[in-house]
Amino acid sequence: MSSVLQLKNVHKAFAGVPALAGIDASLANDTYVSLLGPSGSGKTTLLRVIAGFEQPDSGEILFSGRRIDGVPPHERGIGFVFQNFALFPHLSVAENIAFGLTNRAVDPVTDAKVVAGRVRDIIGLVGLSGLEDRATTQISGGQKQRVALARTLVTEPSMVLLDEPLGALDANLRMRMRGELRTIRERCGVTFLHVTGSETEALAMGDTVLVLDAGRIAQSTDADTLYSRPASADVARFLNCYNIFPGAVSGDAFASPVGALALGGVKQTSGNPAYAIRYDRVAIRPTDAATADDEVRIEASFVASEYSGAAINSFFTLDDGRVFEVETHLSHAAPATYEEKGRYALVWKREDALVFV
Amino acid sequence: MTMAATSHDTPVETAERPTRKQPDRTFWLLAPGALWMLLFLVAPILMMVYVSFWTQTTFKIEPTLTLKSWITFFTSDTYLGALWTTVRIWLIVLVSTLLVGYPAALFVGLFVKNKTLSTALLVLCVIPFWTSFLIRVLAWRPMLGKEGAINMILMKIGVITQPIEVLLFSELSVIIGMTQIYCVFMVGPIAFMLGRIDPSVIEAAQDLGAGFWRIFRTIILPLSMPGVVVGAIFVSVMVLGEFATSAALSGRKVNLLGNIIVTQVGSLKWAFAAVAGVVLTILMGAVVAALLRVVDLRKEL
Amino acid sequence: MNASGIKFGLGVYTALFIVFLYGPLVVLAILSFQTGPEGGPQFPIIEWSTYWYKHLFGLTPPSRIAPLPIDQALFRSLALAVMTMIVSTVLGVTAAQAFRKKFRGSGVIFYLIVLGMMVPGVLVGLGMALVANTLGIDRHWWGTAFVLHVVYTFPFAFLVMLAIFNRFDPSVEEAAWSLGVPPARTFRKITFPLIFPGVLSAMLFAFTLSYDEFSRTLFASGRDLTLPLAIYGTFSVEVHPNVFAFGVLTTLFSFALLGTYAVLMGLSVRRAKRMAIQEEA
Repeated sequence: MSSVLQLKNVHKAFAGVPALAGIDASLANDTYVSLLGPSGSGKTTLLRVIAGFEQPDSGEILFSGRRIDGVPPHERGIGFVFQNFALFPHLSVAENIAFGLTNRAVDPVTDAKVVAGRVRDIIGLVGLSGLEDRATTQISGGQKQRVALARTLVTEPSMVLLDEPLGALDANLRMRMRGELRTIRERCGVTFLHVTGSETEALAMGDTVLVLDAGRIAQSTDADTLYSRPASADVARFLNCYNIFPGAVSGDAFASPVGALALGGVKQTSGNPAYAIRYDRVAIRPTDAATADDEVRIEASFVASEYSGAAINSFFTLDDGRVFEVETHLSHAAPATYEEKGRYALVWKREDALVFV
Repeated sequence: MTMAATSHDTPVETAERPTRKQPDRTFWLLAPGALWMLLFLVAPILMMVYVSFWTQTTFKIEPTLTLKSWITFFTSDTYLGALWTTVRIWLIVLVSTLLVGYPAALFVGLFVKNKTLSTALLVLCVIPFWTSFLIRVLAWRPMLGKEGAINMILMKIGVITQPIEVLLFSELSVIIGMTQIYCVFMVGPIAFMLGRIDPSVIEAAQDLGAGFWRIFRTIILPLSMPGVVVGAIFVSVMVLGEFATSAALSGRKVNLLGNIIVTQVGSLKWAFAAVAGVVLTILMGAVVAALLRVVDLRKEL
Repeated sequence: MNASGIKFGLGVYTALFIVFLYGPLVVLAILSFQTGPEGGPQFPIIEWSTYWYKHLFGLTPPSRIAPLPIDQALFRSLALAVMTMIVSTVLGVTAAQAFRKKFRGSGVIFYLIVLGMMVPGVLVGLGMALVANTLGIDRHWWGTAFVLHVVYTFPFAFLVMLAIFNRFDPSVEEAAWSLGVPPARTFRKITFPLIFPGVLSAMLFAFTLSYDEFSRTLFASGRDLTLPLAIYGTFSVEVHPNVFAFGVLTTLFSFALLGTYAVLMGLSVRRAKRMAIQEEA
């Protein structure tokens, strides 16, 4: 798989405050890449640097093998879809879409028939047929999103950057657009770099997920690996599906605030030592139930449960006051009811835990 | 902890950093305007300062530096009188625009709760500006004259038997004219500041039993001060640079520094005109600087 | 507090204030219908007539009162106002465009521009006359006076455009660039149509300020009179109702200008507005 975009040690600071602190990354051709990061992690800055709206302080950006840092945005051939869509308010839907084709500096399409044909094709692709002559103020949020996408795709860029493209849509529409964005990308065969602050969105959409933390790429891998093998405690915390204990390895156990946790799972080298266990790998048992040799067991008091569709999340307080979350999939068992403030044993297999040293 | 995603394995010939720099657009966008101001605003003002030190003879000036024009200015009763008249008229008009304008601003900015009505009243204040300034000045002649509207009305209702002559072609007529023309510049900023007062603050004070004067002194007046200062700056700059109103309404009895400059230029006494201009510039700079000291505008606005 | 009493008092005061603002203009308008040529600029109205309006256009038999020299002056004033409007709007738009990016020395440049509207006409006018005199340049309304008019109106256009750009969403421009459209073309096709209402306001400001300007013109325009100078010329002599009639006409002209602006403005925002309403419905 050849790479379409490479970033080498890209730095960018605003008024002395670093936003990007040495970004290294490589994006494969014809893939859907999600860029996941908490707010303030520099993800929008990274996107704007790639698009050329901001100049990096140092580092290299290569696009299709060509050095593009210093090249103005309109000569980069990289599409950009804004969170607020940034449609041209004085132009109709069709005019918005045709704008890039007819006005670009390189290879403008001047034949009105050709333009009309290509606009028609792309309008069909994104599902906007019948709205061609509407003003951009006359269409819904989802339709605006499609116009923004069509406007970019019609110019056939090799890569499209999407800045929280679903952020301005309501929950229902967001779910539907996820699937559509993937389908549209596959049909066009371009690379999408989709920035989002939502871990579910990033995991659901990306063939590759880049995790950005404090101006650096903390991990870059496929969704499955990221979910089951986060590269650091910070990434795990950000995925929002791990119970994480600070502490240190001592002997064959991990010394945590709630006691020694037996080792046995994967050990990974990362910045801060931590012990992480995924919500859905934990079983809730009565305190008198037996524990197998390969299991780790702690005790906690039950607080509350929360249904979320196919799963139920139960919250416990540990003896040091820490909250511990367990996710039980309802297909596995009928929802059990737990006694408030009751003591329960929380048990998981040693090998399911991730240990960062 | 950079588990970096770099695939340095794909050998890409690292092209040289594109040397093509984006043109310094900001510079070229600003250059024409800035140059225009330097050539046609700053240079003439500097020229004025320079020429004030030239040697004035009856028919021409020579670029031989001298203090003679300055000495003439500060030893001549005419010029000193004009300076004093300018300061006096400025102070009187400043106070009168404030006194005349403040109550109207209070009504428009604070008492009119209806947005449409307060906007309509402000628009009503601005409409006269679409009449030529000179016409508005001239309009006071048939008002104030011996046979003017005011004398006529007063005689008709029997308040006076003889027309009041001092109304026109006097210092009074100049002050009346300037007050009417400039008071809107006082009303606007004050009404704007008053409009920003949160009504709940005043209601709270009322609930605590404060009377109107107390509320006015402790809340309304301090909060409207930035508006007063902005208005005062507008009025000061315009009144100090005046010459037309006194030319039209004083019958040459009131000579401001502006009038001195006009007559000196008319008789080609460039150096004297320049001295008067520099004095006026200094006066105006001092007034604006003093007003800006009273209230920190950047903080207030 | 006796709020209603104070409110009533202030209301009455404000009404009187409005009378104070408009009184002289109303009197002037009434007296412009004085009979002529024997009727003077004072009450009582001997007989209602439109004599002085005809006098302005030279439609009356010659009399001892010379007609105002308005035909040439009107042309000069209009030409000067149009020239000033174009140049100061272009300068205002470009300077405000530059101010959209932060740059070093922006404070100095800002004050340099705004100074143009603060410095009184007497001072710049005098300065320009001195420069012209020293350099031996002839003063003309289309030369020395014109550049001073721009010095005066450019700051207004600049401030209007600055306010417009403050509310302008730059992402539409970035969107156009990312489609491969170069900045100059983006400005023409996207930015300019969107800021056009602001440009129109800047033009209106520049035109009216220049059309009414006289203190700078007085020093810098030499022999040929503009309209305000023609009126200023009557200050030192006896005033006749023809000046009043002229005042009424220029006011009507200003309102016509304002009306044109309102229509143009209405046309440029009507489309957007209609759609916004449809969307809400």
